[in-house]
Amino acid sequence: MKRILVVEDDKNIQRLLQEELTDEGYSIDIVSDGKEALSFLGKARNEKPDLIILDLRMPKMDGFETMGNIIKSKHGAPVIIHTAYASYRDDVMVMAADAYIEKSHDLTKLKEAIKELLGE
Amino acid sequence: MPRMKDVDVIVLAGGKGERLYPLTKDRAKPAVPFGGMYRIIDFTLSNCVNSGLGQIYVLSQYKSHSLDRHIQRGWLQFFSYPLGEFIYNIPAQQRIGSSWYEGTADAVFQNVYTLQKDKPTYTLILSGDHIYQMNYATMIDYHVENDADITIGVVPMPVETATEFGIVMAGADRSVVGFQEKPKENPVTMPDDPTKVLVSMGIYVFRTEALIRHLIEDAKRKDSSHDFGKDIIPKMVANRSKVLAYYFKGIEGNSYWRDIGTLDAYYEAHMDLVSVTPQCNLYDPSWPIHTVYSPYPPAKMVFSGGDDGRRIGTVLDSIVCNGALISGGRVSRTIVSPNVRVNSYAEVLDTVLLDGVTVGRNCRIKNAIIDKYVKIPSNTTIGYNLEEDRKKYDISPGGIVVIPKNTAFE
Repeated sequence: MKRILVVEDDKNIQRLLQEELTDEGYSIDIVSDGKEALSFLGKARNEKPDLIILDLRMPKMDGFETMGNIIKSKHGAPVIIHTAYASYRDDVMVMAADAYIEKSHDLTKLKEAIKELLGE
Repeated sequence: MPRMKDVDVIVLAGGKGERLYPLTKDRAKPAVPFGGMYRIIDFTLSNCVNSGLGQIYVLSQYKSHSLDRHIQRGWLQFFSYPLGEFIYNIPAQQRIGSSWYEGTADAVFQNVYTLQKDKPTYTLILSGDHIYQMNYATMIDYHVENDADITIGVVPMPVETATEFGIVMAGADRSVVGFQEKPKENPVTMPDDPTKVLVSMGIYVFRTEALIRHLIEDAKRKDSSHDFGKDIIPKMVANRSKVLAYYFKGIEGNSYWRDIGTLDAYYEAHMDLVSVTPQCNLYDPSWPIHTVYSPYPPAKMVFSGGDDGRRIGTVLDSIVCNGALISGGRVSRTIVSPNVRVNSYAEVLDTVLLDGVTVGRNCRIKNAIIDKYVKIPSNTTIGYNLEEDRKKYDISPGGIVVIPKNTAFE
């Protein structure tokens, strides 16, 4: 089973992703900000996620800084930026991500991007 | 022709300079004193100012205090904030991640937000480690006219030095077709001269957009050492980016360029300076080398014989800086830095004396580098018996005795 790490501070979106992506057959881990994400990635050596879904505007550590740290850690898992804003596409850290999906209650685009990046 | 406002300059000044030890015991390599009143980085920064470039970031990390102090004291006055000019020293660990700079490309990647904020069309990447006089504007024009992704400054060097440098293979159209990083064997020599290799000077003009793209790609690669020479350029050559070589021409029309990487190279570059017609010309008014200008009095030489007729202060074939006092000693083929004092009957030959050194009476010194503020007691002999000297001091492979800062004498 492919593992996905969701980095997201909004409880409603956490729940939405948890339910819908579990239904798709993925194993989901959820953390609420960038700091927790880095700590999760640092500890979970044997449970490395195959993909990371990263929100940008979060407390404690935002998605841009988290992305920089993910790159520096050479984690290697593809990263999908998942944000309510269209205007961050030109940020250098965002450019380093593998996909950019604007948030919507319809998760079709997000699911397509996940499938593509996981080679399914 | 691009406006110089369209160019950000990044000076890589993180070099440890391990082979310059003990001169790099307390300072970064670009902050090592050079030519009496300068530090090594002054040459690169002067080239920038003289080329009309005024947007400069200096990336430092290793023992950067003396470098930072030097920039604060000497270089701020050349940059006008209201005109959009600046020189900023950026130590490691500022934005992305919490690691030191892992390689030259990683140093720039960690500051990539700066480039995104400034949005310069072109980025000039330089090393703060080299001695040369070059107009970068000519190279930037060449890059723009040929619409390259990256243009690499190159200079012919003797084939024996190939192991020290990145070697560039360029076609007749000056496009770069291959790259060898410090080849241990079989360096590719220049097509028309088997005694020379084409060396990368560590000077790169990038289209900023291409630079950012390649930095991101490289940062994500696990097998990369994040170095421009080892990783980014070979990758760009392989993926058919437009990589061009720019043949360096110095201000004097020659191609004097030195990586002051070792104590012997450091010493030789100084002996060039005191020769009658040095390859590195500090006296060209069209290309001044700037530095920290300190309020020292004029140099002075005193005693024209004394009571015994032998107490004569003389200086021949040497560079003498302000504040120096040659008080009855004899100095020849020597760099006399600011505030050096050479006392009576002492003899100093073929030597580099750094700031504030005092040479006591009757000393005999030759073939030496003496670091700042060392006080050499009267009657000391240095450089005449290397076996004896080796017990007390560092000696370079070429036989130059090096006396580090704060050396105590019995």
